[in-house]
Amino acid sequence: MASQQHVLLSPAELAYLHDSLSLTPPLRPDGRSPTQYRPLSAETGILPGTNGSARICFADGTEAIVGVKAEVEKTRRKWDDDTIYDENKEETREEAEGAEGSSDWVELTVEIPGFRDDDSSTVFLAAMLSEALLADGGFVRRLVINRRFHWKVYLDILLISPPLSYPLPLLSLTTHLALLSTRLPRLKSEGDEDPFFDDDWAAAPYLYPRSSNKKVLARPPVTLLVMAVGNNIIFDPAKEELAVADVALAVSVGDVSSSSSSSSSEGEEDVDMTAEEQEGRKLRLLSIRTVDPPSRLTPPGVPNATNSAYGHAQVGEGGKTKQQMPEARAAESEAVEGVWKPPRGGAKALVMAALVQKTLQRGGVADEVFDALEGVDLG
Amino acid sequence: MPREAEPSLNEREFVLKALQENTRLDGRELDQYRPLELTFGDQYGVADVTLGKTRVLAKASAEVTVPYTDRPLDGIFNIATELSPMTSPAFEVNRPTETEVLISRLLEKTVRRSGALDTESLCLVAGQKCWSIRVDVHVLSHDGNLIDAACFAVVAALRHFRKPDTSMEGGVLTVYTPAEREPVPLSWLHSPFCITWSFFGEEGEIALLDATWLEEQVRVGSCTISLNKHGEICQIAKLGGTPVEAVALLQCTNVALSRAKDFSAFLDRKLAEDAKRRDKGGLLAELSAENDR
Amino acid sequence: MPLDTSTYSLGLLRVDGRRWNELRRIHAQIRTQAAADGSSYLEMGHTKVMCVVTGPTEPGPRRGGNVGSAGGAGAASGGQHKDAEVLVNIVIAGFSSVDRKRRGKGDKRTLEMQSTVANALAASLHIHLFPHSQITISLHVLSQDGSLLAALINAATLACVDAGIPMTDYVAACTAGSTSTYAANDESADPLLDLNHQEEQELPGLTVATLGETDRVAVLVCESRVQVSRLEGMLAVGVDGCKQVREILDRVVREKGRKMIQEGTVERGTGLNDMDVD
Repeated sequence: MASQQHVLLSPAELAYLHDSLSLTPPLRPDGRSPTQYRPLSAETGILPGTNGSARICFADGTEAIVGVKAEVEKTRRKWDDDTIYDENKEETREEAEGAEGSSDWVELTVEIPGFRDDDSSTVFLAAMLSEALLADGGFVRRLVINRRFHWKVYLDILLISPPLSYPLPLLSLTTHLALLSTRLPRLKSEGDEDPFFDDDWAAAPYLYPRSSNKKVLARPPVTLLVMAVGNNIIFDPAKEELAVADVALAVSVGDVSSSSSSSSSEGEEDVDMTAEEQEGRKLRLLSIRTVDPPSRLTPPGVPNATNSAYGHAQVGEGGKTKQQMPEARAAESEAVEGVWKPPRGGAKALVMAALVQKTLQRGGVADEVFDALEGVDLG
Repeated sequence: MPREAEPSLNEREFVLKALQENTRLDGRELDQYRPLELTFGDQYGVADVTLGKTRVLAKASAEVTVPYTDRPLDGIFNIATELSPMTSPAFEVNRPTETEVLISRLLEKTVRRSGALDTESLCLVAGQKCWSIRVDVHVLSHDGNLIDAACFAVVAALRHFRKPDTSMEGGVLTVYTPAEREPVPLSWLHSPFCITWSFFGEEGEIALLDATWLEEQVRVGSCTISLNKHGEICQIAKLGGTPVEAVALLQCTNVALSRAKDFSAFLDRKLAEDAKRRDKGGLLAELSAENDR
Repeated sequence: MPLDTSTYSLGLLRVDGRRWNELRRIHAQIRTQAAADGSSYLEMGHTKVMCVVTGPTEPGPRRGGNVGSAGGAGAASGGQHKDAEVLVNIVIAGFSSVDRKRRGKGDKRTLEMQSTVANALAASLHIHLFPHSQITISLHVLSQDGSLLAALINAATLACVDAGIPMTDYVAACTAGSTSTYAANDESADPLLDLNHQEEQELPGLTVATLGETDRVAVLVCESRVQVSRLEGMLAVGVDGCKQVREILDRVVREKGRKMIQEGTVERGTGLNDMDVD
């Protein structure tokens, strides 16, 4: 969807933005540092009818609401696994589908005003968000109740404001917060009998539990939008900055500790984190997807035929294709100082590596984002 | 997709000015319907309704199918309205326009949701087999007031329809063809009719019944009231448009009640005529000893 | 559990402790979304609705006969050249009801509501002032507890007021019901104001929207079987309830205006002498 939004900037303005972002250190239009995020307001627990809910408003006015609802569902058994019924062998329990979880236990839908359900951009966003959640299988393992039943979780993501800028980071942060605030009723039944739960909502534990000193032990993944101009890596790009990006990536970051806690996630966790664990979390890259930035669109006033990124090679005069006409090729790829040309070619490997490293390093951007979201009061 | 041609300024002004003086283009009273004609087809369940130049055909059919999982004791009943380009080039197949969606919703609320047809009687074997009754509404000619005509056609078709007789013996369901056993009528509880009022004027002070297509294009608001002859309102739909005085709406409802009673009497008469016609050919032919040579 | 209406006669209380003529708690805010032209958030009891208005803007790619649009007069899909087109889009979130239920975009009930809200507002907005334009109203339903159509109309009205689109008067809506069953012609049946979800399912009811403080009805939707004789009582109670809702909506708008002037966001206008601003 980023590729559909065209920010109305003249070529001179685009060239100016590109040049100032290519400097060392980059000069951003609003004076932020490359890793500084814009202020946002977040609240949770706004929908009492859901298991978890959150609402985040970004500084540019975009707003999203996410609601999480859960239902008990019967687990499908694998047919060829008859060692399941052997109560004595504890290790075979892990082989059954019941313990592993399945990706159809999570249903995620994204609604964007003005776009149809089957629009490619909506489907792409939904796929990216659910892929980050299901990547390491840790989340679905938390949904196991017993061997016969599990929770089916529905995540409904609504974008309230009209889509002014690429909504992926907003939706991802709101989903993260909603999952952090999700509570599931406390299980009162034992073993594999039909589950029944405590009616007292106050006793319901969080899906992502917290230790006694309120530190979150494990957390859901989050997807950040990162862009690169030249050798500079810039986080939380505004839509003007995205319009001159060479490369834009959606990076999903997860928490390693979220996959290791399975059966211990129910009930209260009284264990304080050890000193090493308290220093910082171990972050892990879950996925990277390239996003087509609007900089690759044909600038207004230029015919589509001269833009080789638009469709296949255009045939020029005399029947020769674009590639064969050296003047046209030179016009496309040569960089002239002060003149804006849409970027061609992909990202350099070094830039990608630096980007990933900067996101995941201890004390880096992902850490800051996680800290900020953790600080939101769960209503 | 081509749009309907809008009425010219002259036509619009003429209609509105005439209404100011309580005159309609075809000379009717403000609360008078166009001549209503109803013909039944040879097959059971086919009703052809003509309201002036508006012509609607409804056909009811039944088949045995599996009931919905959340309603194992009920049969299935659907009304399908599809406006085709036969009516007007502005309508496209598979692309529901606003008119089509509204007609479909109104018919559903009037006939289906009000419980005119007893769906429990359609159940054959609980949870496994039931009748699925389907009414297809085809609009053959559109000159205004599709809703009233379509509703009348649907009700007539359903009351005329006969479904095949069935019997259950020891878990085996037998469905008899019309040749083996006489088909049975549906279990019909009440007959709802739609009455559509159209409003004109700055404040919607002029109200008339049964608008023609020209009058429909010029109106500022409309209200469809569905009720049966017992005075039960099945639904009322005034979906926006110029606001109208509440008192006037109540008066409209009262007039609608008398119209519904007229419709009901008309339909009963037509059904009785049709039954007599069939009977003459049927029973008496069987009893007669005449051979056809 | 079926609703026990034996305690419902005029003097006594309903399940949630209200009397027959009491509205539920209405809480509304305007300008909740900075990026939109106009926005509002409305709660009628537990029914929560958000609305965002964009417009008047240039019309998008032309779609003939679009459902959920109103422009020009009556049923004609023309009129796009004389008046602005009002497009309504309703999104009912999957988490809005007790059971999670996903509604497709082509759901007929949603399309009908879109058309109703569009036509209701088009009758009050001065769309003749903006030819060749489009006003887009996006409604999001966050929680449903009865009176959904009424809440949608009220939220859309507030958002249009916030967007500064000139209109004749507020279009205020509410629901009314009756304790009678459809078959009985009982005189003892009482009208009720503002039905919640349980009452809506069990008792006959209607949604009515009026224009401002007049008795003129813009929207009247009744989807349940009820005797004609009950209609008058329900309609009277409904119209009266709409007047109360209009008061509340007006208070919300004036309060926001007063706050904006105090904060210095807007300059005090010349026509505001009747507003009490310090």
